[in-house]
Amino acid sequence: MKKTVLFMIALISSFTVFAQNNGVEMAEELRSSGKIYVVVAVMLLLFTAFILYLFSIDRRLKKLEKGN
Amino acid sequence: MKLITEIRYLLKKEMVLEWRSKYALNGILLYVVSTVFVCYLSFKTTPPLVWNALFWIIMLFAAINAITKSFVQESKGRLLYYYQIASPQAIIIAKIIYNMLLMILMSTIALFFYSIVFQNEVGDKLLYFAAVILGAISFSSVFTMISAIASKANNNGTLMAILSFPVIIPVIILIIKLSKNAMDGLDRSVSLDEIGVLTAINLIVITVSLLLFPYLWRD
Amino acid sequence: MSKNWWKITASVFVLYSVVTGLLLKVPMLPILHESIRNLYFHVPMWFAMIVIYTIAVVNSIRYLQTNDEKYDLIAVESVNTGLLFGFIGLLSGMIWANFTWGSPWPNDPKLNSAAIATLMYLAYTVLRSSLDEEQKRAKISAIYNIFAFPVMVVLLFVLPRLTDSLHPGNGGNPGFGAYDLDSNMRFVFYPAVLGWIGIAIWIMNIRFRIRKLENIKNQI
Repeated sequence: MKKTVLFMIALISSFTVFAQNNGVEMAEELRSSGKIYVVVAVMLLLFTAFILYLFSIDRRLKKLEKGN
Repeated sequence: MKLITEIRYLLKKEMVLEWRSKYALNGILLYVVSTVFVCYLSFKTTPPLVWNALFWIIMLFAAINAITKSFVQESKGRLLYYYQIASPQAIIIAKIIYNMLLMILMSTIALFFYSIVFQNEVGDKLLYFAAVILGAISFSSVFTMISAIASKANNNGTLMAILSFPVIIPVIILIIKLSKNAMDGLDRSVSLDEIGVLTAINLIVITVSLLLFPYLWRD
Repeated sequence: MSKNWWKITASVFVLYSVVTGLLLKVPMLPILHESIRNLYFHVPMWFAMIVIYTIAVVNSIRYLQTNDEKYDLIAVESVNTGLLFGFIGLLSGMIWANFTWGSPWPNDPKLNSAAIATLMYLAYTVLRSSLDEEQKRAKISAIYNIFAFPVMVVLLFVLPRLTDSLHPGNGGNPGFGAYDLDSNMRFVFYPAVLGWIGIAIWIMNIRFRIRKLENIKNQI
């Protein structure tokens, strides 16, 4: 458990380190202004909702299966 | 040993039956010849790429027409007869070999007629002929099993086409590439990849047919 | 709860890949730019599809051995789920290709192969719908499934390697390894693949259970 936590921290700390611009245009503006976190939040919400929805279907199915 | 004698017997039976009616032979031959002629009348001359593709499309449909019959048009009585005298493996091998012979004969005649009607330069004639033979063998090994599957399901031709096209497309892509190499007269070592993969596909398909046919047969 | 551990793991992996996939630094490559992040979302669809088709063929084999209807149901629902992932993979690939390669359907062997493989499994569903009797349907469709699978493997794994392709790893193009060796992409990509495979199996599992309930209901 400790190891995974450490690993996650290492990963998160590397989020902020962006490679230097070498002529290839990347969406630096989106990152520096912090707007990227809005996108992340929305995506995270959508996928969490999707997964919770799957779980709820799963639970209802289980109830039906028990009834039979 | 018993298997080989059974296969021999079935093969002979199949050929005798075909020779008596000459239905498939004449029908498919006429089909190929008239298609080639229609294509000639509408195209007159073709660029090499079209020439090659057209030939394989004609052969594809001829093969579907010829091989569908191998299971779909068998009468109930004859199937029952086969069931009593031979093992399923012998039946599928005999059918595949018979279809291969039929297709090799058919495609040789078709190629001969096609190249007379359509003038076209082929760089490496021997390799092209080898590609045609390989194509005929691959078509028959794939279509025989599909025809057996389709015959169990309401016997309609549409199903045969639907089931066989996705399976045959990889084979056709490879054959068209191989025969294009032969037309351009490229060095033969270039085509070794295609020949290898085609042989592998044939081996896999025949092995899988051998394993699966007994399940299909027991009914 | 202990039975659900793999569902939770898969969900965590997918959520993790969403966050890190958007935030982690990626190699700066011309043409691709930021769209290289699609790798975390588009490619796992294909992995999930292939795994789920493999499950389908394994269950078809088990059906032929045992004649247990359960395996047939798993096989058919695996194919249905595989088709879903195949279509999502094709469509997402088309959007990405339109941006990077200039057209939604560049004449690429991998695209064509994927489309043909999808056709093959559509043919499987057509075959099923043309048969009425349950036992016969299960048997014949299992046979077709097993027959088509090796051809699909050749189609997806051998043919694209013989011809030039725009996809990495084919026709002399560098594989993924060349892109992500110097970066953290692997730490996102592999969990994403595992997560989506888990989600696909989960969806298949749900569909299978629904179908089993329907079958019981129909028998009554």
